[in-house]
Amino acid sequence: MRNGLLVVAAVVVVAGIAVARLGVTPAAGRAEAYTAPRTADGKPDLNGVWQAFSTANYDLQAHPARAAMALRPAPTRTEPGGLGRATPADLPAAPVRALGAVGGVPAGPGVVEGNEIPYQSWAAARKKENFDDWLTRDPEIKCYLPGVPRATYMPYPFQILESTNTILIAYEFAGATRTIHMEDAGSSPSDTWMGWSRGHWEGDTLVVDVTSFNDQTWFDRAGNFHSDALHVVERYTPVSPYHLMYEATIEDPKVFTRPWKISLPLYRRYEKDAAILEYKCVEFVEELLYGQVGIRDPGAEQTHK
Amino acid sequence: MKRVSVLCLGALAPAMLLVWLLPASPAAQDPATAKAETANAWTPSRTPWGDPDLQGVWRYEATMPLERPKNLAGKTLLTDEEVAQRDAVEREQEAKRLAGEEGTAVGRQSVADSPIRGNEYNSFWQDHGRPRKVYNRTSLIVEPPDGRLPFTPDAQKAEARSAARYGVGPYESYLDPDTGERCLTDGVTALMWQGPNGGHNRIVQSPGYVTILHEEYRDRRIIPVDGRPHGSIRQWFGDAVARWDRNTLVVDTINFADKTNYEWANVWTRPSETLHLVERFTRSDAETIDYEITVEDPTTFTKPWKAVIPITRLPDKTEIYEYACHEGNYAMANLLSGARAERGGR
Repeated sequence: MRNGLLVVAAVVVVAGIAVARLGVTPAAGRAEAYTAPRTADGKPDLNGVWQAFSTANYDLQAHPARAAMALRPAPTRTEPGGLGRATPADLPAAPVRALGAVGGVPAGPGVVEGNEIPYQSWAAARKKENFDDWLTRDPEIKCYLPGVPRATYMPYPFQILESTNTILIAYEFAGATRTIHMEDAGSSPSDTWMGWSRGHWEGDTLVVDVTSFNDQTWFDRAGNFHSDALHVVERYTPVSPYHLMYEATIEDPKVFTRPWKISLPLYRRYEKDAAILEYKCVEFVEELLYGQVGIRDPGAEQTHK
Repeated sequence: MKRVSVLCLGALAPAMLLVWLLPASPAAQDPATAKAETANAWTPSRTPWGDPDLQGVWRYEATMPLERPKNLAGKTLLTDEEVAQRDAVEREQEAKRLAGEEGTAVGRQSVADSPIRGNEYNSFWQDHGRPRKVYNRTSLIVEPPDGRLPFTPDAQKAEARSAARYGVGPYESYLDPDTGERCLTDGVTALMWQGPNGGHNRIVQSPGYVTILHEEYRDRRIIPVDGRPHGSIRQWFGDAVARWDRNTLVVDTINFADKTNYEWANVWTRPSETLHLVERFTRSDAETIDYEITVEDPTTFTKPWKAVIPITRLPDKTEIYEYACHEGNYAMANLLSGARAERGGR
């Protein structure tokens, strides 16, 4: 909570906006000092290009900087030790070593309320396996649809396009788009990567109830995961012309012992040319996924007989 | 035209959801009122911020082919009798479909017509679901007057090469299949009316933007309608800007990038770097958009061509669904390892 408070405090200072009574809690929906502008049909106007600036996509939880996203254990020390309790740093795994400082993981205060993700014991073990085997398991690496809430805090902008009974959230990563149904649109006929989203307004807050997920997406690059029983309730609350507070309550009785919550601010991209451009990453990962399958490997320029 | 994304459809079907649960209500179309040109008589409703309202889920549901069939050369319009005959065929196929018949009886492509093995399965995805509308025009193309694509000689050769290769190979690496099989796109030119079941598109408007979500490949165009000039970045979908011309949305797109390794399955959909696309969306009645497209690309065509395409609004509550193509692209690995096995490896 304290970390979240700091983030909000920074937001307020940067924006130069005095927001009275915000200091008590960063929870969305309680920033009563700000009232969002209205659309032509009287709804809060959240239109615009937004982006998270957070280390949440590296790791939802508080974490020190790491040498790389894929690590190998530090070598055992052969010299006689000096002071006790020193922990040698893990090294970048061989496939990502060439990235050097660019491939490191910046430290972050975490976005999970209370910092604990309440895994069931089997799931905690699985999360650790995911972390250790990140390079082959993270669906982001394969350009798969990122799921919710992960799409929100990936390092790419997204655009909220507000119509009357439909709101689109158009993400740059992988060209993912969510349709937020503001009127009854039935239920999803199948499990999906991005879920089935039903929205409503609570004051200025857009509340989105998301269900019908498959079990294929992750929450971050640290291996945090869920099952097909995932249920996410998102809250988007405007707190200034340039900021939304984002909150997601995550529930999954197959994986967690109780619901848990993340929150982080979203920032308006208001430079003149702010737009969602193409990030059709399929073509960026074909070499990784299929290069060694064919007769010819365009990346290695070698022929498999 | 006959090769509309067929191979990739079969390959990717397990990963996708398509809309077809449409009411089987007959789509009545009085041939006498069929229009060949855009009409501005009907006044569309407005969005709360005052733009003409194009919103809804739309698809192409007519029988007109893009190009005028060679056996109809010189004939721009069908007679009333011919329209009635074709309409009867559509209804007959509908009746057979409801009676549980399959294959050519319900208008699907015959296996013999396709070079692609397993086309029985592919043809399943071509089902129209309800009778198509019969118009009296013989081609979607209205210019040039012969109703045919004005290919350059090079493009003609490319079309022939592509046709010979499609569904046959070689498939030596992931760069060999076409962009559809790679789960990238089938290009913008045919976005509004091609694809499975006629191509489902959801149009959503918000102040200053018209967004088109094309279900297949989850192609998406977020089109600014705010007077901004073209940007400079080349993309698969180019750089689109739009304006309102009374009740018509006019979209102008340039700066396409063609990053394919091989020629496009349908050469005429190729977004070459010299392509300039102008699209006009006009609602001509409560359930129709007259979609007019002008294609100018000196690399592929000797002169600009223009098509006028009626797009049908699907009933309220029709959804488009998530198209997780790449996520389920088992076909790619199977295609490549199959080619490798045929070559005598492994």
